[in-house]
Amino acid sequence: MATERWTMRRTMHYCLMVAAVCISACAPAAMPAVSAEAISFMISGDAAEKAAYAQLVDAFRQRQPQIAVTLIHVPGQSDYRKRLGVDFAAGTPADIVLINYRRYAPFAAKGALEPLGPYLAQSNLISEQDFYAEAIAPFTWNGVLMCIPQNISSLVVYYNRTLFQAAGLNDPQPDWTWNDFLRAAQALTRDTDGDGRVDQYGLGTEVSLFRVAPFIWQNGGDLVDDPLAPTRLTLDTPAAREAIQWFVDLQVKHHVTPGAVAEAAESSESRFLNGRLGMFLNSRRGVPTYRTITSFDWDVAPLPQGNSRAGILHSDAYCIPRVSANKAAAWAFIEFANSAEGQRIIASTGRTVPSLRAVAESPAFLDPGRKPANSRVFLDVIPFMRGVPVMETWVDIEDLAAEELERAYYGQASVDEAIATAIERAQPFFAPPASTPGTQ
Amino acid sequence: MKYHTRYNLSLYVLLAPFLSGIVILVLIPAALSLALAFTSYDGLSAPGWRGLQNFRQIIDDDLFRRAVANSLVFLALTVPLRTVVTLGLALLLHRSRRGIGLYRAAVYIPTVIPGVAYALIWLWILNPIYGPLNLLLNATGLPAITWLVNPHTALPAIALTALFQLGEGFVVLLAGLQHIPDEYYDSAALDGAGQLALFRHITLPLVMPWLLLVIMRDLIASAQNTFTPALIMTGGGPYYATLFLPLFIYQTAFDRFRFGEGAALTTFLFLGVAALIAVTYRLLGGWGYDDSV
Amino acid sequence: MMTRSDRAMRQSLGFHLVAAGITLLFAAPLVWVLAASLRQPGAPPPARIAWLPDPPAWSNYAHIFELLPLGRYMANSLLLAAGAVPLTILIASWAGFAMAQLPARARYALLTLAVVVRMIPITALWLPRFLVIKELHLIDTFAALLVPAWMGSSPLFVLVFYWSFRRMPAALIESARLDGLGALAIWARVAMPLARPATVAVGVLTFVQYWSDFINPLLYLKSETRYTLSVGLRVLQQMDLTSWPLLMAGVVVMLIPVILLFVLAQRAFWIEDQIGGVHGN
Repeated sequence: MATERWTMRRTMHYCLMVAAVCISACAPAAMPAVSAEAISFMISGDAAEKAAYAQLVDAFRQRQPQIAVTLIHVPGQSDYRKRLGVDFAAGTPADIVLINYRRYAPFAAKGALEPLGPYLAQSNLISEQDFYAEAIAPFTWNGVLMCIPQNISSLVVYYNRTLFQAAGLNDPQPDWTWNDFLRAAQALTRDTDGDGRVDQYGLGTEVSLFRVAPFIWQNGGDLVDDPLAPTRLTLDTPAAREAIQWFVDLQVKHHVTPGAVAEAAESSESRFLNGRLGMFLNSRRGVPTYRTITSFDWDVAPLPQGNSRAGILHSDAYCIPRVSANKAAAWAFIEFANSAEGQRIIASTGRTVPSLRAVAESPAFLDPGRKPANSRVFLDVIPFMRGVPVMETWVDIEDLAAEELERAYYGQASVDEAIATAIERAQPFFAPPASTPGTQ
Repeated sequence: MKYHTRYNLSLYVLLAPFLSGIVILVLIPAALSLALAFTSYDGLSAPGWRGLQNFRQIIDDDLFRRAVANSLVFLALTVPLRTVVTLGLALLLHRSRRGIGLYRAAVYIPTVIPGVAYALIWLWILNPIYGPLNLLLNATGLPAITWLVNPHTALPAIALTALFQLGEGFVVLLAGLQHIPDEYYDSAALDGAGQLALFRHITLPLVMPWLLLVIMRDLIASAQNTFTPALIMTGGGPYYATLFLPLFIYQTAFDRFRFGEGAALTTFLFLGVAALIAVTYRLLGGWGYDDSV
Repeated sequence: MMTRSDRAMRQSLGFHLVAAGITLLFAAPLVWVLAASLRQPGAPPPARIAWLPDPPAWSNYAHIFELLPLGRYMANSLLLAAGAVPLTILIASWAGFAMAQLPARARYALLTLAVVVRMIPITALWLPRFLVIKELHLIDTFAALLVPAWMGSSPLFVLVFYWSFRRMPAALIESARLDGLGALAIWARVAMPLARPATVAVGVLTFVQYWSDFINPLLYLKSETRYTLSVGLRVLQQMDLTSWPLLMAGVVVMLIPVILLFVLAQRAFWIEDQIGGVHGN
């Protein structure tokens, strides 16, 4: 019967398709095993950052063609961290990962990382003395260097010079104060099209403990009672409280930053990129993307000064998981990436403030012809730089503090309430640590 | 007899791929998950036994309570609304007539929109300044609502987005309504029964088993489907207003790498859903479910 | 005095008005998204409703393919979804067929199993399943994403086939058995041809499920070349800060195949065909 044959044929057809799909799906990545070794390098960041690392990988391939480096790119920072955790849980992390000093503690504490100090000591290409001590210190765990820092970035003020000039303002001076900062922000917050709603804000920033910290330090306060052995958050000291109030007032009292609705409608960074924001607080991370800006002139200025100068360290480092099967090849890459040549390549893309002193003070980083022309501010702040505490549960503390700060910032709670709640919620996370980060 | 058993055996063989798949992909991982719930496990070192500690800690956690409350409120909002709307739409569109295909398709299409895309679409629509919904409200003189930004309206906003993906329940209720023989309606109408009476005495009882199926399925789905919208649209904010239990589990396990606690939370979720189903079953008087469904 | 045909016409008009209104309501989001995707990126969004931006920036669609290898992501998604469909139909229909004919106790046990499985929160399964997949050395392969097809992709699909096969006249199956046909042959020659609407429905729903799958590619895929469109969209969301239009364009690209598929397969979709509507209304 015609129907019968057709059904049979159809079934066979199905089976063949299934088989074909299974075979093609089950075949693992047809990676031609030409190279002697293959390592994977996992990074995050947007397109411009990715291009920077691709350049680095290419240069390394030319130096050492027998090592094949696969770049794994996970764009979102939080997705990157998730992938990292899952990979570690599965025992299949990339051979080289970049971890921030605020987040590497759990890995170090559980012995999941291969200490790179000994590798560095034996290296002919680079040595510990070549790096800024301020970059090395946070990644030293119990006296051993765990990861090689790629940068010593910090929080700065990106400003739209075109808007400054249009508002009749001079460029920020190196020693400008909180008041100067506020006045500039106020001058730059305007309703440009006369519809009664502010379209241009003077300042934009993420609302987090990480952003508020330098201001707390500048005012003489601190985040915790003892940075080396923290037992509680100290946001309720008068000095810290004053700094937080000043920060919150930028939105609640002076309205120089977008409110909750405006920020949700369009992010501050997006406004800055489109020339509708006077100043934006960020670390060096944003530079590769900002270099694509063509519609206005921009530069960087140091953070304004309070009662004292202080900056905040932003740093991430190359780490090798202990379970990696290609540690020697991975180290070869890391060594190259942190040699003068490697760091010059990344520095030229604008992504980092090089952790190698020689490269940081060279035209590769300081060239005034590449934006930001005023890159020197990143180096000037190094002596005044402080870091957040390195502890396993710092992520939890930062996250909940950010939620509380946001409440105060968007006017849903008073500063005192937010501080009290933050301290109370953070307390359980200050359980006595298994081990503390050591200094050299 | 021999053929009979051989036939049954071959049926089980046909069943084998599905059953083995369930065992390997669902039952074993679920058992693993249950086991993990009694440990502390961060993926970096071996799991450490903690007995009931995880559960005790979770019950004391404010965020957990918030997540449970949010999930319950969400269920209370969406399940009744969705059921009523779906029933209404099915009643409206169950008789074949000209153009019925287009109308039914319009109801179903939002359901086939992939979760990520759907969440992004609504993220745009609910944009407080530029989103079409607020623009529309403004244009008609109504006050604009800040939707996802306001802690009080964020959860209802996400509930709103859940009201448009009714496809599966819609199809089931259509089938249920179409199973009611016309003769019942005809003879009741001859007796002079009005529309409302027809509904109450014929439609509702006869469609009840299907309705129960839809409600039950909705309970299960709504308890879990908040994940993608909350992740993409609000991240659990503002200030935990949209922190639902599935998102909380995800954050605990995959952001904080507390897989043991995450597993314990999941156990709570499963038990909670099971309890809800049992309660609904009781309240609505049993399945009324028969095999002719 | 209203004649009967007048009243009928009024009712018909009323019906069409209401139904059309509902259609507009459900279709509105899609229209808005399309409109949003055609705006120029970078320009401040309009503060008033503009149904169609002027001029429409069709270049957005080209641009997103430049920003990301969206073409490859689409191909990956297509391959995955297209591969999952035959697998799912095979396994789900086998299971549904078997369930429909087993004695009552086995049937109820399996039905309960299906319900319980559906109840298990997917979040419970991510990590353990991840570990299982890793043990099978399937990380970063398509197979990892196809794996749910092993269990018929969803208990619902098994149930759809189950209902469909239960509707079939027992006489048909009896006579086939009397002819000496085994279970597989009966499934292939008797049951499946009659279950075409169910097959189409399950096929479409399976395609949609795999096309939309977000968490599994996120967890299991490492190489960018293997990313699917859903991950690509998330990447787009996190990558490009300045433009809703580009993101919306990506959303539209993701929607079109699925909506098209649905519209084409629509006729087979409505259960009245599937379960063999007893009373044609």
